[in-house]
Amino acid sequence: MFFRVMDTSRLPDLVRGLSRDHEVIGPVAKEERFVFAAIDDPADLRLDYDTTLLPPKKLFFPPEDQMMRFRVADNEVLDDEVFAAPRVLLGLHPCDINALLLMDNIFLKDYVDPYYKARRDTTLVVGISCVPTEDCFCNSLGTDEAHWGFDIFLTDLGDRYFVSVRSVKGAELLDDFVETREITDADTAAFQRVTRERKDKFTQDVDTSQLPLLLDAKFDSPVWDELGERCLSCGACSMVCPTCYCFNVRDDLAPDQKTGTRTRLWDSCQFSEFAAVAHGQNFRESRASRVKYRYYHKQWGYLSKFERVLCVGCGRCSTACAADITPREVIAALAKGGVE
Amino acid sequence: MTVANMYKEKGSNPYRPWPARITSIIDLTENERLFELRIIDESVREGFQFESGPFVELSIFGVGEAPISISSAPSKQGFIELCVRNAGDVTGALHGKKCGDIVGVRGPFGRGFPFQEMKGHDVLLVAGGLGIAPLKSLINHIHDDRHDFGNVSILYGARDPSEILFRYQFDMWKHRDDFDLILTVDEADETWGDEVGRVTALFDMIDIDPDNTYGAICGPPVMYRFVIDEMRKKEMDVDKIYMSFERRMKCGIGKCGHCGVGHQYACIDGPVFNYWEAMNLQEAI
Ligand SMILES: Cc1cc2nc3c(=O)[nH]c(=O)nc-3n(C[C@H](O)[C@H](O)[C@H](O)COP(=O)(O)OP(=O)(O)OC[C@H]3O[C@@H](n4cnc5c(N)ncnc54)[C@H](O)[C@@H]3O)c2cc1C
Ligand code: SF4
Ligand code: SF4
Ligand code: FES
Repeated sequence: MFFRVMDTSRLPDLVRGLSRDHEVIGPVAKEERFVFAAIDDPADLRLDYDTTLLPPKKLFFPPEDQMMRFRVADNEVLDDEVFAAPRVLLGLHPCDINALLLMDNIFLKDYVDPYYKARRDTTLVVGISCVPTEDCFCNSLGTDEAHWGFDIFLTDLGDRYFVSVRSVKGAELLDDFVETREITDADTAAFQRVTRERKDKFTQDVDTSQLPLLLDAKFDSPVWDELGERCLSCGACSMVCPTCYCFNVRDDLAPDQKTGTRTRLWDSCQFSEFAAVAHGQNFRESRASRVKYRYYHKQWGYLSKFERVLCVGCGRCSTACAADITPREVIAALAKGGVE
Repeated sequence: MTVANMYKEKGSNPYRPWPARITSIIDLTENERLFELRIIDESVREGFQFESGPFVELSIFGVGEAPISISSAPSKQGFIELCVRNAGDVTGALHGKKCGDIVGVRGPFGRGFPFQEMKGHDVLLVAGGLGIAPLKSLINHIHDDRHDFGNVSILYGARDPSEILFRYQFDMWKHRDDFDLILTVDEADETWGDEVGRVTALFDMIDIDPDNTYGAICGPPVMYRFVIDEMRKKEMDVDKIYMSFERRMKCGIGKCGHCGVGHQYACIDGPVFNYWEAMNLQEAI
C-alpha cells in the first residue's frame, strides 16, 4: 500500500472530480440521523457522521431487487441483465467495508450472484476513519480497521487526510482530481497518534472467545427463552445489519397476466414463517429458537465456513431493537447463564 | 460442459431457470404425480449430471419455485423425473400442467448419497411416504450397477395402500432377487397382501451385516429418530447411515439463508447428511 497526504480543504475537489464519471454516494444528514444517498453538492457530504440507518448493503443488494422479467406461456426469461452504472461509495467506515467483504464470501463464491457482482464490480469504495459511538464493538471483533476492500481510505488528521491507496483505480482518481503530497515522518506520527486515540474511545468490550463452543454447550440455556419472550419478531435487527443477507423471492404478474417480474426481498430469520415448510411443520416455531438462530448462524454457522464471525460490531442492531436486545447483552448472558 | 461448470466456470446466472418440457405425467396417487421433463436446451440437457440425492428448483413463472428431489437415476439420459405431491402454490400449479407444457428447472443442486463409496457394500434403504422420491433415484442407480453391490434391502412404509408410490414397479421387483423389498402400511385394506405396521417394525425381518452396510433414509421428519434407533440397535456405523433433510428453500445455492440446519445449509452442505454429521447439527433430528 502507498500513502499520500491531502488537505481536508481539497475534499470538494475530489468529490467534484469523482462526479464527472461516477455517481457519488455518501453519508448525508436525514432528520436526526444519517443515510447513504447520492451526493449532488459536495457540501451535503457529512464525513463526520456516526453511523447510517441502513448499511451500504442496500446499494449492492437492494431491499427489493428485480432479478428477471419473464413470459408465462413458455416459462421463458425475457431479461435478467443488471444495469450497474459506475459509482463511488464515499465515506465508508471500516466496519462497513469489512461487512461488504463478509457479504462477498456469500455472493461472490461458488455460485456467483450476478446481481450483487455487477454492482460490486462497478463501485469504487473510499473509506473514512470514524469515532466510536457507544454501541460500537468492532474493536472486539477485529473489524475496527480495514486492510482490504477499499480503493482509497482517508484517515482524518484534523487539517489533512492521511490517504491510503489500495488500488490502481484509486491511485488514478487521486492523481487526476486532487492535489496531494508525499507523506512525511510527522504525518505518519500523527496517523499513529490518531489511531491510538481512537482505540481508547471504545467503551465496549465484548468477549466472543469460545462463543462457538458456548453456543453448542449451552444450546438449551434458559437465556434464549428469556430473550425470546422479549423479542417482537420485527426483523429490524436483520434489516439494519450490514452482514444479514437472507432473502425471499416473489413473482408479480403484469396486468395482462402474460409477463411478470421475479423480485427478491430482504427477509429475516426472526419472522415466524422463515423456516416453515409444507404440512404445517415449522423448524423454528418459537421466538426463542429464532433469536438463538440469528446468533448461532452469525457466530458459528458462518464461522464454520469462512473462519470469521458474521458480525462487524457496528451496533446498528442494538440501536434498532425496540426490545433492547443487544449482541453485548446476549453474548454476556450466554457466558454467564442468565440475563441481567 | 457439465451444468455445475456452467455455473461455476462460465458464471451462468444460477437464478435463471432452464426451460423444460413436460414429456409424461403419471398419476401415482390422488395427490402425487410423476412428471418426466426434458430440458429444451441441448447443451444444458447433456450437461445435467448428478449423483443420486440432489434436487432441482422447480420454477413456474408467475407462481414461484419449490425444491424437488430428482427421482430418476443419473443414468437416465435426456430426461429427469420428479415425483411431486400437490402441497401448495408451485406444486399445485405443476399439477395443473399438461404434457407438452413448459416449466423451468434450476440445478441440479446439493450433495447426494455417496454412491461410489457405497459400492462393494450392502445397502439398506428406508423410506416413509414421499421420502421414496429421492431414494427411487438411488434404487434405480444401484439397479444399473447391481453387480457392484452386496445385499440391497428396501423397507418402505406409507399410511395406506393408496399412498404407496411406484407400486407397479415394486410389484415387478418383488418377483426378482435384485432387492429384498418389504412394504408396509399403517392401515391395510382388502387389496393389501404385504405388512401392516410401522416401518421400524420391519427391522425384525431383516439380517444386517453391520460392518458392511450403508443406510439411506428419507421420510417425514418424525421418522428419522426411530429408524436411526433401529439401525443403531443393529450396530450400523454412525457415519454409514445417510439421510436426506427437507427444509424451506428459496435459492438452492447457499444464499437466501432459509434452509439453515444447525451451522450448515441443507441446500449446499446437504440435503443428504450422514448420522455423524446430523448429530453435530443442532435441531437436525
Ligand atoms: C431437498 C428437498 C427435496 C424435496 N423433494 C420433494 C419431492 O421430491 N417431491 C415433493 O412433492 N416435495 C418435495 N419437497 C417438498 C417441497 O419442496 C415442499 O412441499 C414445497 O413447499 C412445495 O412448494 P409449494 O409452493 O407447492 O408449496 P407452498 O405454497 O410453499 O406451501 C406449502 C405449505 O407450506 C406452508 N407454507 C408455505 N409458505 C408458508 C409461509 N410463508 N408461512 C407459513 N407456512 C407456509 C403452508 O402450510 C403451505 O400449505 C422437497 C423439499 C426439499 C427441501
Ligand atoms: S449483528 Fe448487529 S452489530 Fe453485528 S454487524 Fe449486524 S447490526 Fe452490526
Ligand atoms: S430488532 Fe429486536 S425485537 Fe426486533 S426481531 Fe430483532 S431482536 Fe427481536
Ligand atoms: S435454499 Fe437458500 S440458502 Fe439454502
